[in-house]
Amino acid sequence: MNETKGPYIPLDMPEVLGSKNKLLSLWHLMRGYHFHYLVSTIFLSLAAFARTGMYIYLGNFIDRMMVGKLVGQELTLGALTFGALIALQALSSFMSSWMANFTAENSTRRLRDHLFDHIQRLSYSYHSESKTGDLLDRATSDVDTLRRFFADQAIGVGRIVMIFIISFIAIARINLRLALVSIIIFPIVLVISLIFFKRLSKAYEAYQAQGAILSTDLQENLSGVRVVKAFARQEYEIEKFDKENREKLRLGKKFNWMHALFWPLSDIICSAQSVGSNFYAAMMVLNGGITLGDFISFHGLLGWLIWPIRNLGRLIIDTSRALVSYGRIAVVLQAPEEDMTGCTYQPEEGIRGQICFDKVSFAYEKDQLVLDDVSFSCQAGMVVALLGSTGSGKTSLVNLLPRFYDVTSGQILLDGVNLNAYSRDFLRSQIGVVEQEPFLFSCSIRDNITYGVHREVSQEEIENAAREAAIHDVILSFKNGYDTLVGERGVTLSGGQKQRLAIARTLLINPRILILDDSTSSVDMETEVQIRAALESLMTDRTTFIIAHRIQSIMNADLILVFDKGKIVQMGGHEELLSQPGIYKDIYDIQARIDSALKEEIDRVESI
Amino acid sequence: MSNQYNEEELDDVVDLKSGVIGRLFKSLKPYWLLILISVLGIALVSFLDAYYTVLSKRIIDEGIVAKNLPVMISLFRSYILVILAQVAGFFIMIYIIGLLGEQLRYDFRKKLFHRLQTLSLSYFSKTPLGWIMSRVTSDTEKMADLLTWGVLDTVWAVTNICFAVYFMLKLSPRLTMIVAVSLVVMIFVSFKFRVKIYHHYRLSRRANSKMTASLNENITGVRVVKALRREAQNLLDFKILSTDMYQESYRAVFLSAIYLPTIQTISAISLVLILWRGGLQVAGGAISVGVLQAFVSYIMMILWPIQDLARVYAEMQNAVASSERVFSLLDMQPEIRNRENLLPVDSLVGDVEFENVSFHYEDDEPVIKNLSFHIPQGKNVALVGTTGGGKTTIVNLLCRFYEPSQGVIRIAGHDYTRYSLEDIQSRIGVVLQVPHLFSGSVRDNLRYGRLNATDEQIEHAAKLAGAHEFIMGLEKAYDQDVGEGGNLLSVGQKQLISIARALLAEPDIFIMDEATSSVDTLTEALIQKGMHNLMSGRTSFIIAHRLSTIKSADIIMVIDDGQIIEQGNHESLMRKKGHYYNLYTKQFRQDLESKYDPFADKESEALAA
Repeated sequence: MNETKGPYIPLDMPEVLGSKNKLLSLWHLMRGYHFHYLVSTIFLSLAAFARTGMYIYLGNFIDRMMVGKLVGQELTLGALTFGALIALQALSSFMSSWMANFTAENSTRRLRDHLFDHIQRLSYSYHSESKTGDLLDRATSDVDTLRRFFADQAIGVGRIVMIFIISFIAIARINLRLALVSIIIFPIVLVISLIFFKRLSKAYEAYQAQGAILSTDLQENLSGVRVVKAFARQEYEIEKFDKENREKLRLGKKFNWMHALFWPLSDIICSAQSVGSNFYAAMMVLNGGITLGDFISFHGLLGWLIWPIRNLGRLIIDTSRALVSYGRIAVVLQAPEEDMTGCTYQPEEGIRGQICFDKVSFAYEKDQLVLDDVSFSCQAGMVVALLGSTGSGKTSLVNLLPRFYDVTSGQILLDGVNLNAYSRDFLRSQIGVVEQEPFLFSCSIRDNITYGVHREVSQEEIENAAREAAIHDVILSFKNGYDTLVGERGVTLSGGQKQRLAIARTLLINPRILILDDSTSSVDMETEVQIRAALESLMTDRTTFIIAHRIQSIMNADLILVFDKGKIVQMGGHEELLSQPGIYKDIYDIQARIDSALKEEIDRVESI
Repeated sequence: MSNQYNEEELDDVVDLKSGVIGRLFKSLKPYWLLILISVLGIALVSFLDAYYTVLSKRIIDEGIVAKNLPVMISLFRSYILVILAQVAGFFIMIYIIGLLGEQLRYDFRKKLFHRLQTLSLSYFSKTPLGWIMSRVTSDTEKMADLLTWGVLDTVWAVTNICFAVYFMLKLSPRLTMIVAVSLVVMIFVSFKFRVKIYHHYRLSRRANSKMTASLNENITGVRVVKALRREAQNLLDFKILSTDMYQESYRAVFLSAIYLPTIQTISAISLVLILWRGGLQVAGGAISVGVLQAFVSYIMMILWPIQDLARVYAEMQNAVASSERVFSLLDMQPEIRNRENLLPVDSLVGDVEFENVSFHYEDDEPVIKNLSFHIPQGKNVALVGTTGGGKTTIVNLLCRFYEPSQGVIRIAGHDYTRYSLEDIQSRIGVVLQVPHLFSGSVRDNLRYGRLNATDEQIEHAAKLAGAHEFIMGLEKAYDQDVGEGGNLLSVGQKQLISIARALLAEPDIFIMDEATSSVDTLTEALIQKGMHNLMSGRTSFIIAHRLSTIKSADIIMVIDDGQIIEQGNHESLMRKKGHYYNLYTKQFRQDLESKYDPFADKESEALAA
């Protein structure tokens, strides 16, 4: 069994997405369980047969009893046959519902896994454009709607149709006219239930939507509790909440009213049919058209003919909902995944880290160049500092290296080979990224450090990396040390601490190329020194790109690139740039200006 | 975080305490008439349900077998009447119970919201928001469901079984004995099954929320996942969760699939016995065919009330656990409360004084240690010092979000616990570091400062705060929607609005926590102007990060480790060359670095010039 694919037959996505009809797509989503579904349907029919047989046999039983034929052993046998039919019906409905649920649970689980994997393999740009909540909603509640479809509606249609047909045939065998008379209300009930369920689901959606509004209100109130208290606005808040709360009450009452109206109404119609048919049948017994036993069979069967129709409307509405959900999921499934392993160039000795940008331009959207004709090259092991204002293209440039995005025009050469020839997977294994405030996962600190280190790591190795990243002591200060959980159920780490965890991780990964976002805002002096030292040990022997915010990290760089609006406006070493007028010299001069301004201020105070 | 706040509480094996249940049912008291009507309605419906079979029996015996047409017609007539009565009862019952359910949900939510408004800040800082949300949203649903449909189903099921047994006894006591035995067995089996099914169902809900959390995290952190090539491992991790979910969910549905056939089989056994015994009696002339048919009907019908009863029983455990949590929240007493014999007060204009104030959160170490100071009316105070030194706590104490553990805080000459909370909080204006706005228009948010303010007054305040210009620049000006939490605006804009909001409230004391995050130069200048307007003539406390704010303060307090380590004005403290001097020079460098930053937003600089 293929471990990464799980204990099931994989989905054939082209087949699913290629289907013209959504119902057909849903059918393909059940791939591998079609047999189970078929078995379920067969047992379902069997259950319907057994039940019908039971009523017919009951009629037969009574007829024979009436003429006094049923005595002794025959009576016992008759009763046992009857019991056997019920048992058969019970067993069949168990098999049917077991198989249906087996199909549903397995298909859903496979779809869930597939969606999870698909989502994490969608491109960078797809994720920048979509909202987390929306994706989450599609992967959870829409998938659950499909689960219900597989379990209930997919089999439910079969159930209703089979029950109806078998009951109808059974009654028709007793008397055809009686059978025809008994389905007069069929179209009426179907139409009414369709209309009602459509309205009911609309009213219900409005009610649910109001619930969401109420939740948002509550959440806002709770997260703004300081403001509420600061202005002593409790009364006002209570009134505000009450307004929405009342609206929910109103919508709930409306929904309830429709609900209360539909069931009795359809009851009356179905009951009218039931009384009418029963009377008709009773008259037939009196006229000698059918026997008493026939009447009793009919009496039992009639319910199974009439009542399923009531639910047909709901079934159709629910199915259309499932189709909508499938549509929402299909949109996500259709988005292309990143090709991780295509372009298989992979030098055996690994990469050295020599990089050359050759007339590289890049745009997220057409015509809006974020990088405009960027050319430079650096040797392996060099430190390249990127300087520029927000939005000048620094981040976009480093995002091109692990091929989070591909260049729009021009080319990037890594060790003299076009970057696009390397597989993304290989490239990313060679590139380490340390963000300004890295995202941590809600697992233990140890797991966060070893996250993405694709090998077994000993505790000693982890601690060494943590020491080097100047975070070991901080970790030990927590009660559970390396087992301390990060996030809502554990400790909250500061931005600087998170960054140092990421540094420790990157040390373990030991990449050839490093991308650093060097910002140590809001940390105290001591920590800043520690982070600086940690970064320096990390940069040793690696080609490093630093998104620089301060002069200290720039001064030691081998190459400094100054960006403005996507173009390189200045390029060179520290001394070289200092000797020419421009932005770089301006920045450097600031330090001197600050020193003199500070002295001025102190002198002013002293003189008072 | 302790397990107390785990989302899907599972092991709450509630020994259905009479206290909680009694209290739960007390919520029905105002609606006793509705309850009475619906209980009577349901009893009627369930009586008629059982009576149908009797009618059918009579139609067979007295009409069809006896070949008596007039009797049959009159019986069918009663049949129609029974149906009409039943449908009417059914309608009233669904309608009333549904209505009651909505009303109860509304009541519970209202009560909870009321209680939440009175609770102190300490409660909110130690209780996760999601936990509180679940109490108000899902627990109230479960409680209302138990009180309405739960009660309804129980009454229906019990009366239905009772009536059926009653009619059966009248028809044939001996056959009834057979039914009674199987009834007991079916009830027992049903309860066992239902409790188990529900247990797995809840386990699957818990597995589901874990799965969703993992998915959520993976989407939020997708950039890291990609950079570190964790896709394959993450899928394996996710599969463990989805397998968990699959297994629990599968167990629940499997048990459900086996449950109904099981009790059907039990009923089949008793049916065989009845047909056999009953058949003998019919043959012997002891009972009629109609009676036999009636027993067959009853035994097949009785499955439904039994199922309902078992379901309600299983879900009740959970609903009672929900009620317990809701009641514990309703019983929660605010830590900060109004005292007795309050001092009525129109204004808090006067000196502010801390006398030997100490304070600690929960049972932790003291955050404020024996702090004393005296600020004369109208002075501006700047609080400076390292993060975690206690500045925010001082502000929280001043606003009476918390009260001192020891010592006294006096405002205008009196211990401030002698004033009502409302008086203090409405006379103190606060601007927080990360300003919170409510969704709605800019105008709505400003009006929060004074609810009866006219549009002119609002604009006047906005002008004073320096917010007017940027507001007019918005597409819909004052009617612009600010988004959830004000997220459609920048931090600087939110701060301007919150200053205007505070100005509108015309507080006697003004408290502000300056933003540390960078704000563009123009907005920064506007904020300074707004602050200046707010501070003039008012006693003010600013947790200051901007040099200009610090320098212009009348009194600067350097706070460290819960104590004042230096106090004075800018010049005197600079000359001391102590803590303040160090803080100031560091800040000075940072400020100028960002001021001279050639990459700073040039557009706004141009505007500021």
